[in-house]
Amino acid sequence: MSDGLDVKAFITGYLAEAGEHLSSANALLMAIDASQKRRESNPKAVRELFRALHTLKGLSAMVGAEGIVDITHELETLLRAADKAGGRLPQNAVDLMLKGVRAVEERVAALGRGAEVAPAPKALIEELSSLNVDEGSVAGTAAIDLAPELAAKLSVAEHAQLAQGLARGQKGRAVEFRPSAERAAAGISITSVRERVGKLGELVKVVPRAAGGAVSFVLIVLTTATDEALCEAAAATKEQLTPIALTETAAAAAAEPVEDAPVQHRDWVRVEVQRLDDALERLSVLVVTRSKLDRAVKKLEAGVGDLRALKAIVAENARQLRDLRGAIMRARMVRVSELLERAPLIVRGLSRASGKPVQLDVQAGDAELDKTVADRLFPVIVHLLRNAVDHALERPEDRKAIGKPEEGRITITCSDHASRELELRISDDGRGIDRQRVARRAGAPVPQTDAELLELICRPGLSTMEVATQTSGRGIGMDVVRKTTLELGGELTVSSTPGSGTTFTVRVPLSVTIVDAFTFVCGGETFVVPVSAVDDLTELDRTQVIEPPEGKKNGGARVQLFRHRGAAIPLYPLGAMLGFGAEPGSEHERPKVIVTRKGAEAMGFQVDRMVGKQEIAVRPVTDPLVMAAGVAGSTDLGDGRPTLVLDLAGLAARHSLRKVMQ
Amino acid sequence: MEEVLVVDDSKVMRDMIVACLRPHGALNFTQAASGLEAIERLSLKPYQLLVLDLNMPDIGGFEVVEFVRGQKALEKLPIIVVTTRGDESSKKRALDSGASRFVTKPFTPEALLSEVRALLSERS
Repeated sequence: MSDGLDVKAFITGYLAEAGEHLSSANALLMAIDASQKRRESNPKAVRELFRALHTLKGLSAMVGAEGIVDITHELETLLRAADKAGGRLPQNAVDLMLKGVRAVEERVAALGRGAEVAPAPKALIEELSSLNVDEGSVAGTAAIDLAPELAAKLSVAEHAQLAQGLARGQKGRAVEFRPSAERAAAGISITSVRERVGKLGELVKVVPRAAGGAVSFVLIVLTTATDEALCEAAAATKEQLTPIALTETAAAAAAEPVEDAPVQHRDWVRVEVQRLDDALERLSVLVVTRSKLDRAVKKLEAGVGDLRALKAIVAENARQLRDLRGAIMRARMVRVSELLERAPLIVRGLSRASGKPVQLDVQAGDAELDKTVADRLFPVIVHLLRNAVDHALERPEDRKAIGKPEEGRITITCSDHASRELELRISDDGRGIDRQRVARRAGAPVPQTDAELLELICRPGLSTMEVATQTSGRGIGMDVVRKTTLELGGELTVSSTPGSGTTFTVRVPLSVTIVDAFTFVCGGETFVVPVSAVDDLTELDRTQVIEPPEGKKNGGARVQLFRHRGAAIPLYPLGAMLGFGAEPGSEHERPKVIVTRKGAEAMGFQVDRMVGKQEIAVRPVTDPLVMAAGVAGSTDLGDGRPTLVLDLAGLAARHSLRKVMQ
Repeated sequence: MEEVLVVDDSKVMRDMIVACLRPHGALNFTQAASGLEAIERLSLKPYQLLVLDLNMPDIGGFEVVEFVRGQKALEKLPIIVVTTRGDESSKKRALDSGASRFVTKPFTPEALLSEVRALLSERS
């Protein structure tokens, strides 16, 4: 711990950076694992992983997290040796390193909670340090036709990376960028050039050069882009571009480029600056409207104003507010590909635990959805993946016996519909759901349709596995999967064909408003009211009710009063207002009163009983035929039936109004 | 005002370094997030001190030190290498390449500050 340096001031930044490094570490380990399966090394991923963990180690040392420093140090030592060996790692290294990264993640999380950081697990450290990297000759380093001054700057691993890329048919190019004060002022710097060139291919190395006092950078890149595109990206002329080729044809096995490690979602959202600028832009438009309003009001005061002009400004203001809300909602969107980033990791773990080889195919597309929905959807995806690996896919020997490839296949596809709904499909090529068996276990008739089948498998506690497996025995069940989907205002469907596989389809709205709400019963029906709208909950004490004197009116309507916290407040009979009679048997219980407030004015609503508190996703009522004062929207409490979200103050206003009109 | 260039790919680390050096006073800080950016900035404007991390993407701190010392105009620029790599071989390599001082992470603000004070007074 650094004395005198206030670590607390840096902890948020630390957590954000640590999160990014850990997330890339996981992705890089998956890339290394994929390469190892093809019996190839992945020098680039090894180097990047080394860097990520090394940076994390330094940062952790500054915040005094010794447990993290020890683990990252051990991982880093292994990776440094691997980097020197051209990216080669021992077979079981990836598993151990995943364990190591997991251990670091736990400790970073502890730090985030303000808890003590546990020391490094001894067994893991010993296992890691016992791994030996074979430092034998580095294979696949065919000679490359490159200027000696550049070649001297490439490490063994970079040389291998370049040679591999050339061998699998990518073009090698060295392009020179010359920085200058004018260019820097125009936003053309080595940083922006590096980024642009990086987008056109795989950047192997950037070498700084000084010729006669003038500094320049040579970017060595593997690409399929045209030379013109490269020159444009590097602000270079044709003369500043040199091709790089193999001097002898190396028949190296084709390898896929390392997928770039994306960033994992946490308790924060990564927002494109463009989207924030957009929101800001809309805000500044509102400021203009505000001064227009000011002017219009002043004119009216002076007696020269025009009410029509004012109305037009108010309408414009309403539209701009809607736009601003839209812009902020867009800033809250996260990419589905980000949400699905951990899916390969999860499937890999499940595949190991169950001993079933699995190939996962993720087609996330570029759909986006609200952060809140994404967070809630994640456990659903995890459960469906678990189901697929543990229950749906057959054992490899069984698959072979019926002529299927031994490796099971799981596909996740995703698309958004009309920018309102996300459709996520998780398919497997397993045995399909055994309808007879499900029916037997549920003690119900054999389901004839997929909808009936879904009904049965979503019954709480139903599982067709006699033995709870190591993974699927835990976690949430299908009932929770469906409940979550419904709560989000979505829909779950299944389609299963015996012998050839099952597809679960989850449809959810791209964004929802989630609020805490009280559930209560009135007139035999269930309603909810947002917690934020409730001032107090109390039992109805009959002795505290004051009948208004004959002829005395309250807002034009005759309403009972109720003594609450030393004041007399109106008490509305909610059941009667909604046109219900009393709930049968409710006289045995004491009715409850929900106290709410409109401005400074408190009011009570008599209901039959309170049920509980839960989070709900509010779907606003937009259909003008259904819109009604006092109804804020509808929700699904997880039972598949719509439940009204009441706006009690709005309801009271309508009630008073109606009484006056009568 | 002395111009100081702080180079580290970690934003938090750069902020920590600046926080440590602020009590020195009369320093103006510029941050660079990579060795490449550092070399570019050094070529565009004079600096009186370079605080440099070793482990960075594309080109690491060693390469920056070697590059800087290879240029006539930057021969005398004081360089403090700040790194987690605490082993003796890194230290030797950094100093052999031309780094003026070597500070190992984690460091205390005083440790970094006293190195900077010593370096800046040596020069003047």
